[in-house]
Amino acid sequence: MAQEMTSTSEHELVARCREGDEQAFRELVERYKGLVFALVARSIADRARAEEVAQDVFLKVHRGLPYFRGEARLSTWIYRIVVNVLAAERRPMKTEPLEGSGDGPPREFGVADRAFEDLALRNRMEKAIARLPVHYQVLINGHYLKGLRYEDLAEALDLPMGTVKTHLHRAKRQLRHLLETEFR
Amino acid sequence: MRCDDLDDVIEALAEGDTLSAEYHAHVAGCSRCQARLAMARAVDRLLATREAPVPPAAFTFRVMERVGRAEWRAEQLVDVGFNVAVAAGIALVVAGVVGLAWSLGWLTVERPTLEAVGAAIEPWVSSTLARGPTVVLAALLLTSALGLWWWVEGEASL
Ligand SMILES: [Zn+2]
Repeated sequence: MAQEMTSTSEHELVARCREGDEQAFRELVERYKGLVFALVARSIADRARAEEVAQDVFLKVHRGLPYFRGEARLSTWIYRIVVNVLAAERRPMKTEPLEGSGDGPPREFGVADRAFEDLALRNRMEKAIARLPVHYQVLINGHYLKGLRYEDLAEALDLPMGTVKTHLHRAKRQLRHLLETEFR
Repeated sequence: MRCDDLDDVIEALAEGDTLSAEYHAHVAGCSRCQARLAMARAVDRLLATREAPVPPAAFTFRVMERVGRAEWRAEQLVDVGFNVAVAAGIALVVAGVVGLAWSLGWLTVERPTLEAVGAAIEPWVSSTLARGPTVVLAALLLTSALGLWWWVEGEASL
């Protein structure tokens, strides 16, 4: 996993990749594929497309490694590529038609049928997350992903560490608003 | 305190942050804000228990395959560029040598000879110009074919 990697081994891995060591790059893909794929697949519902996009991320990593100066951590740099690739993926897409509308009072939740409500809500939530701006999307998708370091997420999104929580609250508020209105 | 004032702090409340007593007091007496808080808590709970999608088994293999293909294409491009540069270089050297020989008077061509050459190549030049695009395409194809051949030769000899 990414967080088990010390900076020296990361440094070595990058150096080996830059020398054209194919095995080193394979190792890099093995280390990061879990988090990269999870981040991408949480944003792109179509699995085949998600895999293609996750592959694109590593192709960009491979192409960019000769120019990677090591000023940022490798992980941060990779997540930044994820953000860019997701943003590019989003651009040509048409926004889905709104499902229902209106801004009546929020729906009440009974505790008894929570399991059923959870299932339905999860479905609506996934749709609503797909509608968030890419930065909010990556923040929410990444924050609740085990193994992804807080500081990597902050740096990849160009957020000062102290503001991550505020931004996360804003992202979740926007998500809640979508659930209270368009995705009721 | 109105419900709108609370909207900004619902997420913090859902995470269990302690805020000023006014907020807590409002929620206690407002069903609308209680519903919002319930929604925020449900979102938190679902986000925390969201399954992480796992990449397919052949993911690394497929990435390496694509990387290999991309590298091959890049090398091919470099080779073609290299061949074109070499050809252009040779042409320049030849033109330079001929020009030098000409200006030093080592190379003399009688005017009638030049005219004869001109007349001989004139039909070819005009018909070539008329079929310009086709000829250029053929020349490009030939160049890339030669480049590819040269590259394959180089790879095979490694
Ligand atoms: Zn209220």
